[in-house]
Amino acid sequence: MPHFSRRQFLAASAAGLIATRLDGLAHADTAAKRGGTLVASWGGFEPQSLFVPPGGGSSPYFTATKTVERLLRLTSDLKFEPVLALDVKADEDFRSYTIKLRPNVTWHDGREFTADDVVFSVLDYWKPISGGVSLKALTGAEKVDQHTVRLMFDQPVPEFFLKSILSGKAGLVIPKHIYAGTNIITNPANNAPIGTGPFKVKEWVRGSHVEYTRNERYWDPALPHLDRLVIRWWRDPASRSAAFEAGQLDIAAFNPVPPPDIPRLTANGKFVAETKGYANSAWVATIEFNSRRDVVKAREVKYALLHAIDREFIADTIYFGRARPSIGAISSSNTMFFSKDVPTYSFDPKKAAKLLDAAGYPVKGGSRFKVNVVSAGWFEENVKLGQYVKQAFEDVGVTVDLAIPDRATSLKRIYTDYDFDVAISNNSASIEPVPQTTQYYTTDGIVKGAAFRNANGYSNPKVDDLVANIAVETDPAKRVVLVHDFNRVVSTDAPLLPLIDLEPVTIARADVRNHSRDADFMGESWSDLWLDR
Amino acid sequence: MHRIVIRRLLQVIPLLLGVVVLNFTLIQLAPGSFLDVMTAEQQISDPAMIERLRETYGLNDPAPIQLAKYLWSVLRLDLGFSYRQNAPVFSVIMDHLPATVILMLASIGIALLVGVTAGVLASVKVNTIWDNLVSISAVFFFAAPSFWLGIMLTVLFAVKLGWLPVGGMRTIGADNGALAATFDVLHHLVLPATALGLFYAATYARMMRASMLEVFRLDFVRTARSKGLSRARVVMAHVLRNALLPIVTLLGLQLGTVLGGSVVIEAVFSWPGLGSLLLDSVMSRNYPMVLGILVLSSLVVAVANAAVDLLYFRLDPRIRAR
Repeated sequence: MPHFSRRQFLAASAAGLIATRLDGLAHADTAAKRGGTLVASWGGFEPQSLFVPPGGGSSPYFTATKTVERLLRLTSDLKFEPVLALDVKADEDFRSYTIKLRPNVTWHDGREFTADDVVFSVLDYWKPISGGVSLKALTGAEKVDQHTVRLMFDQPVPEFFLKSILSGKAGLVIPKHIYAGTNIITNPANNAPIGTGPFKVKEWVRGSHVEYTRNERYWDPALPHLDRLVIRWWRDPASRSAAFEAGQLDIAAFNPVPPPDIPRLTANGKFVAETKGYANSAWVATIEFNSRRDVVKAREVKYALLHAIDREFIADTIYFGRARPSIGAISSSNTMFFSKDVPTYSFDPKKAAKLLDAAGYPVKGGSRFKVNVVSAGWFEENVKLGQYVKQAFEDVGVTVDLAIPDRATSLKRIYTDYDFDVAISNNSASIEPVPQTTQYYTTDGIVKGAAFRNANGYSNPKVDDLVANIAVETDPAKRVVLVHDFNRVVSTDAPLLPLIDLEPVTIARADVRNHSRDADFMGESWSDLWLDR
Repeated sequence: MHRIVIRRLLQVIPLLLGVVVLNFTLIQLAPGSFLDVMTAEQQISDPAMIERLRETYGLNDPAPIQLAKYLWSVLRLDLGFSYRQNAPVFSVIMDHLPATVILMLASIGIALLVGVTAGVLASVKVNTIWDNLVSISAVFFFAAPSFWLGIMLTVLFAVKLGWLPVGGMRTIGADNGALAATFDVLHHLVLPATALGLFYAATYARMMRASMLEVFRLDFVRTARSKGLSRARVVMAHVLRNALLPIVTLLGLQLGTVLGGSVVIEAVFSWPGLGSLLLDSVMSRNYPMVLGILVLSSLVVAVANAAVDLLYFRLDPRIRAR
């Protein structure tokens, strides 16, 4: 397999990017063209259902958001823009918010969208199903008039926090007349969702594709630009590359093709590799130490094991340069809360050995001690990452029993049985750190059987207090300071830390315009995408 | 004859029950449950909600009770409900089954056509360049991983030459009537069926060659030749018919393995068949779906094997005589 250093990869990608960007700039003044069919895909599999109310991962989120909308959207420069809400305003004490809704919006079946739909979504869908602990403080929602809703909370709620929910995965607005009185999770409409969005589901051929047609009654008559949107699924990344080259695929999000193919695809300017559009779903690969296990409980041992790992090597070799070494617990793509003022653990095997000696683990009979490492096998890269970590630990005299189980077994071992000394996993964090990032560190994040939370048993009252304060601090500047404090404490205690920040990439034909402009491109409606053909 | 048919079909029932019990047990032994996957995917962390889901899906019942309930529902021709797909198992399988059947039949057809022809050619031209060519090709296609072969065929015929589509089963949005739709499916079928069929063709070619050479040596072939029959007639009417028996046996056995082989090919060609559904269901521990697919595919294999047995009667008078 050809090896691309990070620099080579970036240089080649940049060349293609610049070529197509220049081309894009040349068309900057061109009015968007109407019509055409966009064939899209992504780097994962078909969804289990086109809309999975509790979440269901990236795939159903991708398909649902083309038909079902939210109140707000978050752009890549972190500005909230109106979608179904025209205005979201906090009362003085930040314990209630008034939301003005967009008038003259209809559902795909012709019924009018009103405040009743939003109240129903908040109380019957967001609070019990999709929002989870994010909406713990929500006490009620009421209809003020046909197009105004009021949300009430039992504590002050920061504006950015609430708007993140309204523009996030949990904030999809569903039609009351379809879901009221039914089990929302199993409602048959989830396989052909009815929303207010720019596209209507025409046909879902399981195992192949879903076809959407233009919503002619969309609330913005100028949108969508496309007549038709098709999302197709290829399980194999090399097949996606072939589909691009054969002209049968226009755009695909989240690492759709093998990394070595990217420079080749973008070299002649026919395709663009875009890394924007993932700020609100920042993926990281993490390492965590089970605090229930004596062998990795001591801070010095954790530090030593972190110093044994060469993150640059991981980023360059395992991720072909599509990653950056992480700094602290907040992803570097989170421009609002990221901070460099945290302890870091540079690659230094000698220091690692000294720390282990000092911790009372000298090399005896060729080994200091043995740890079992579970690397969650849901990503191909985790297989390599697990094998690398095993070698890195063994280089400093720590024997490793490595397991790379399949998805279901990994979930059970890490998040239900807590059967690991060291675990390698992944998470996707939104810009708002509460609760998606903080629940990996708080005591109430320890929920046996609940995945992607605190599996290592770490509990620090200081962290719990900090997170409780972040959750209610309404002054944005003070909130940033609190998040920095939180980041410093957890990076010092190091129960779980990101090893590398992934740089997901979208591949698109150069004539696909207006993509990757949101903080979560995959989860936006794509109403403003157009084809320059 | 009728009695034999009925007896063969009745044997399918205990076989299916065995398949259900064995696979149910194997799935139970695998660590992790579909609830683990579901709660992870759906970010469910509320312990009360998790417990409610366990109760809803009958996971609190002991395994033998779960098995008994499943067997009872299968006997009532109900394969259960897939909570992952939010649809009845039978209906989801029926969505995928036609694609798999089409791919299976086409690839077996290609395998038989290419394999038998190549095997006959190699045997009648034994120890010539034709024989060597068939042998080398057979080894190559048997050894080449089908995903690699699939990608290579795609690069050549879809990307470079642009003759065939990269994947899928039909042109999305095309609505030109039944005949055009049939040709459209055939157009999409060429590459996946060829990639899958060539692997099996390699086996058939080797088997056919060996079988033909063995039959060539038998006395009745010498007799046929001494009677003055043409070489072509000897080969086609006497040798080929007898040499086909092992191929028929192999065909029956391979009908089951085609489903396994199609998992990879379906992934490469985005073919909407059962293979991808089975893979996804295993990974997500969606055991109602896994069991449903295995029950139906076992049924197909059992019926196909019964049909193969019956074909023996047609092909081999000695079996009829017994």
